[in-house]
Amino acid sequence: MRTLHCWRLTSFILVLSALWSGSCSLTQAAPPRRSPPAPKLPDLKSPEDKKLFLELIRNSFSAVKKSRTLSFDSEDLDRDLERNIAKETSTPFAPIADDETFIRRASLDATGTIPSRQQIKAFVNNNDPKKRAKLIDELLESDAYARKWARYWTSVVFYDSNANNNMVNRQALENYFFEEFKNGTSWDRIVGELISASPQRVKDKKPQDNGWNQNYGPNNFILACENKPEVIASNTARIFMGISIGCAECHDHPFDNWKREQFHELAAFFAPGRYYMTDQDDPSQKSIVDAKFLLGETPPTTLKPDQRRVAGAAYLIYNPDNYWFARAYVNRIWNELVGDGFYSVDSLGPDKEVTHVLTVNRLGATFRYSGFDTRWLLRVLMNSRTYQRSISTVEKPEDLFTGVRPSRLRPYEVSANLQRLTGDLGGAQKSIETTFDANPSVPQSDLEGSIQQALLLMNNTTINGKLAGSSLKKDLVKIKDDKALVIEAFLGVLARSPSPGELIRYQRFIKEGGNRDAAVDDLLWVLVNSAEFTTKR
Amino acid sequence: MINNNLLHVTLNKSGQLTRRSLLQLAGTGFAGLAGAGILKTLGLNAAEMKRQGRACIMVFLSGAPSQMETWDPKPGNANGGPTKAIATKIAGVQFAEYWPKLAGLMNEMSVIRSIAGKEAAHERGRFHLRTGHRMGPTKFPHFGSVVANKLGDPDSDIPNFVSIGNTLSSGFLGVKVAPFIIDKAGQLPYNVTSSVDEKRRQRRLQALALQDQDFGSQGASQIAQEHIELYRRASELMTSSRLNAFTLNGESDKVKNSYGANAFGQSCLVARRLVENGVPFVEVQRGGWDMHQNLWQNMPKTAGEVDQGVSALISDLKERGLLEQTVVVVVGEFGRTPKINQRTPSVGRDHWARNFNGLIAGGGMKGGVCVGKTSADGMEIADRPVEVDDLFASMCRCLKIDQYEEMITPEGRPIRIVDNGSEIGELFS
Repeated sequence: MRTLHCWRLTSFILVLSALWSGSCSLTQAAPPRRSPPAPKLPDLKSPEDKKLFLELIRNSFSAVKKSRTLSFDSEDLDRDLERNIAKETSTPFAPIADDETFIRRASLDATGTIPSRQQIKAFVNNNDPKKRAKLIDELLESDAYARKWARYWTSVVFYDSNANNNMVNRQALENYFFEEFKNGTSWDRIVGELISASPQRVKDKKPQDNGWNQNYGPNNFILACENKPEVIASNTARIFMGISIGCAECHDHPFDNWKREQFHELAAFFAPGRYYMTDQDDPSQKSIVDAKFLLGETPPTTLKPDQRRVAGAAYLIYNPDNYWFARAYVNRIWNELVGDGFYSVDSLGPDKEVTHVLTVNRLGATFRYSGFDTRWLLRVLMNSRTYQRSISTVEKPEDLFTGVRPSRLRPYEVSANLQRLTGDLGGAQKSIETTFDANPSVPQSDLEGSIQQALLLMNNTTINGKLAGSSLKKDLVKIKDDKALVIEAFLGVLARSPSPGELIRYQRFIKEGGNRDAAVDDLLWVLVNSAEFTTKR
Repeated sequence: MINNNLLHVTLNKSGQLTRRSLLQLAGTGFAGLAGAGILKTLGLNAAEMKRQGRACIMVFLSGAPSQMETWDPKPGNANGGPTKAIATKIAGVQFAEYWPKLAGLMNEMSVIRSIAGKEAAHERGRFHLRTGHRMGPTKFPHFGSVVANKLGDPDSDIPNFVSIGNTLSSGFLGVKVAPFIIDKAGQLPYNVTSSVDEKRRQRRLQALALQDQDFGSQGASQIAQEHIELYRRASELMTSSRLNAFTLNGESDKVKNSYGANAFGQSCLVARRLVENGVPFVEVQRGGWDMHQNLWQNMPKTAGEVDQGVSALISDLKERGLLEQTVVVVVGEFGRTPKINQRTPSVGRDHWARNFNGLIAGGGMKGGVCVGKTSADGMEIADRPVEVDDLFASMCRCLKIDQYEEMITPEGRPIRIVDNGSEIGELFS
């Protein structure tokens, strides 16, 4: 604090220009000039100093200032997309989904939960023409909203992590995300804190006893990357820019423009001291590599490791030319909501792989100008027609976004969905989450189910026992009329009313079951085992 | 016009090209080819690669066994400690005293004494010795998943990779070849028994099929079709006669006892039963090797179980005519320090990756070979260093898998099954 304050009065502008010296010389092709005067930066060792410093940079760049002139709302989004899609395909757009479908989908997307029978009925019977927008607002203000996205991002950070369990604290990261999302902290600030963290090994403490300061939530991105510069670089580009440059660690990227040297220049931001790159042909030879960000920004070589890390975060987040940063976030959220991204969320090669590039770029830019407001983005997307269409399994690229792709629920959503019916499943909860585990960065269309998933839901005695003793089951057996019973069972399990065909089919199913109690168990079993139960539709 | 990448994609055993790889191909300029014609070709290529009856049993000695108390004893040297050496069936090759049964089978197997490891931390060593790759950003698959992918019947009613005990994942190869993990050998896997009678089960399944079909026709075709297929296969598994292979039904007490009346021995027996029933890869494991202390106190029991289980396995496979096509490999994640540490209450050995040993048997190898040599004090390799890659390349040769074949990661990156190294020539005649 003290140091920052002094420094702020003296040479703020100087430091900024120094931090961006590389990109200046790039764009202006200036003749070689003397290195800029060494900036008098504070040490930036503590998370607070880092945050304050990044905040100063944030305030000095127009890139994140709220703008009144630039806007992009749901209607703009739909108009843009519908016009472009219609040029490419004659496939009709899927119709707007009905209220029951909408409330289930919106609840899952905003909060990871499934509405109760009562909530569904109340929503359907509500005549307010603005009820969908109002529901979205309500959902986004709930704690469940923050929890849902905290879980999502924690799973993104940790899915590919090789870090030893003793040096990370997943729950601390989830809780950090939860607090930030709940408080409406903007995405740039969250990422700035994650990227600039430099957790240190605490002497005389076992790793598992907070020996890496892993109980401090924002330390866990770097710790999930095992504190290794190469892993941090690869994951920073992958998760926060959506681009895949991991291959370039060992060789020039086969398809893209990334060179091996660029990868190591990025990694150099995160080295505790000098960074060395191993020679490709002769692994016994190593050369020093200086930090340089992907767009060419070079920090002064005099920076200390902590300062360099903060500079890396600043280049990633606040350089207005780095449109990848805002766009990667937009694309991930879009992918979660609509089932397909504008590109594969973490493995973008050349920009030509992006579909509807103008639309996603505009969304990205407006997200930036909204001040990286995470609720703003969800609100725009969820209020759009594009989001509210019925499901369709798109097979041809030109048909993308003519409907919403049905998506597999995330593992924690499957277990929550089940436990909403069965109550606490104890140890079986872990089985469910392990069995339904899937990489959150892989496109929905590439995800696969497994036989174990089927076996678990079909036969697990805890799940089926608890289902047979659930309050829903007790409610159902009390209903004398089979038709009403089937309706309540569908609402309770699948969160929708049965179709006329289903009504007839299951009334017969109940009758033919003989023992009514067993017949209800059979009905619940069928609905819980159906593909629909574990799908967002 | 078809480039190598494309050909490698064809080797995906499921015969399916994922949308991602299609996009990758499209990205490299093969968009025009990505049609039905290609998929048909792919199907044909996959058909050529039907099961060859070959299999691998990996015996993983978790915790990292000491090479000097296993198959590279150093009697008479200070580093050797109190461990005595015994003769084996092959003249000039000695084992530590704890391995009498395997010593008697040395003519059926080979010992590699000069594996040069690179990882001395458990997690990383386990990764290296189970995948043939070092841990890094890429999610390399367990070697068992590679084998399941290459040799397994994609329509099999039981899994193509079974692990008795927890293990690594199938990484980027996906769930189709993920290890089917069972906690305990000799009983049916979890969740394969229906809680309702057959008539009711069928009634439920029929209603479920209609339910999924409806869902499929309402825009969820991909998910619904896969779901129907998974439930069909799960039901097949539940009623498969081969499910019996997970149990010990029909094994005489004599056979059961020959493997050892302990969890590890029974795992080895189940491994044989699974291989006999066409499962191409089985992992069994015995932990307890991380003997930083109390090494000589714990060694007799730990080694005794493995000596008995593995020797019974090799003999039994041989007797049944399965050894020729089944490769059995016995390794841990690394070795242990030749110098004995000074821990209390009782000494042991610490982590050591520079040189360690392993056993390999069957799979068409000649047996009776001792590969490599360590120095008298055990501190370094004196002759013929063997890389972990070489070990995996040898397993590939036994299984008739091309080690250089490329697998494609979801990001479209081609990765060879075994990156470098080559088979250990001495093992093959």
